[in-house]
Amino acid sequence: MQEEQEFIQELLNPKTQNQAFQKLLKEYQKPLYNHVRNILLNHDDTDDVLQNTFVKVFQNLNKFKGESKLFSWMYRIATNEALTFLNHKAKLGGVSSETLQSKAIDNLKADIYFDGNEIQIKLQKAIIQLPEKQQLVFKMKYFEELKYEEISEILGTSVGALKASYHHAVKKIEAIVTAN
Amino acid sequence: MKTFKLENEPKIESGFKTPENYFDNFSARVMEQLPKEEPKTISLFDRRKTWIYAAAAVMVLALSIPVYNNFYSHSTEIDETTLENYISYHSTVTDTDLVNLLDEKDIQKISVNLNIEDKAIENELSTDNNLEQYLLN
Repeated sequence: MQEEQEFIQELLNPKTQNQAFQKLLKEYQKPLYNHVRNILLNHDDTDDVLQNTFVKVFQNLNKFKGESKLFSWMYRIATNEALTFLNHKAKLGGVSSETLQSKAIDNLKADIYFDGNEIQIKLQKAIIQLPEKQQLVFKMKYFEELKYEEISEILGTSVGALKASYHHAVKKIEAIVTAN
Repeated sequence: MKTFKLENEPKIESGFKTPENYFDNFSARVMEQLPKEEPKTISLFDRRKTWIYAAAAVMVLALSIPVYNNFYSHSTEIDETTLENYISYHSTVTDTDLVNLLDEKDIQKISVNLNIEDKAIENELSTDNNLEQYLLN
């Protein structure tokens, strides 16, 4: 925690800011990429959103109060950016975000940045049938392997509620995959 | 039908990949987009602007000289010579009118002290041949 406070000071100090921010980028670009990609499914959209996320993080550094961890604060910004992007894109296309996601999954087979087999596509198809919050919880727990405590800090939901949510998500996914 | 159980399956990866070297360039791309906090500098153009304004001011002054002159040549003030000429040749003002306008001081100013001695007058009168004729008439 002490280290994080010092790092935040480096991020705020104009003299050390650039170097510190590059360190932040190196540390978080991969996990945040995976997080956003799991929500948006396609690489180009993820690239756009991830860049915007880091620019937003930079612009709001002075507003970061240190009440939460830098890690969860950044994940929160990335999640909001990704969901906003998804809803905006669906609105522009005049479709629901579920329909949009369904199309994105159909496109995965032809996506050069997707290396998956039939079961992976089946799993993705099952996930998009879940409520938004359960989708998020499932992806963060199953694919990203985040701890419940971490997900709790990011989404602002209690660990107990998250466990229940994940349990429901797994049950529904299993039922959907079994039925297909 | 075989029941699908996530825990019985080997871990299913998301299968998402990135273009080659994507993360090598990513931070540089983001750094480029960051808003730069620019120190307050006076740009070359701003500095030049001062000179442009100065030159413009000089130009305005220079151009206004003929206007200034022109303005005064149409001034309502009349110089003395013009006034004198006008009164002498064109005016309906008679000498009597002018004399009436003079006060003591004016008269003193225009009085000329000739300081001629009586003898000189006598001399002049005695040598003037015409004088007799004037006297006779």
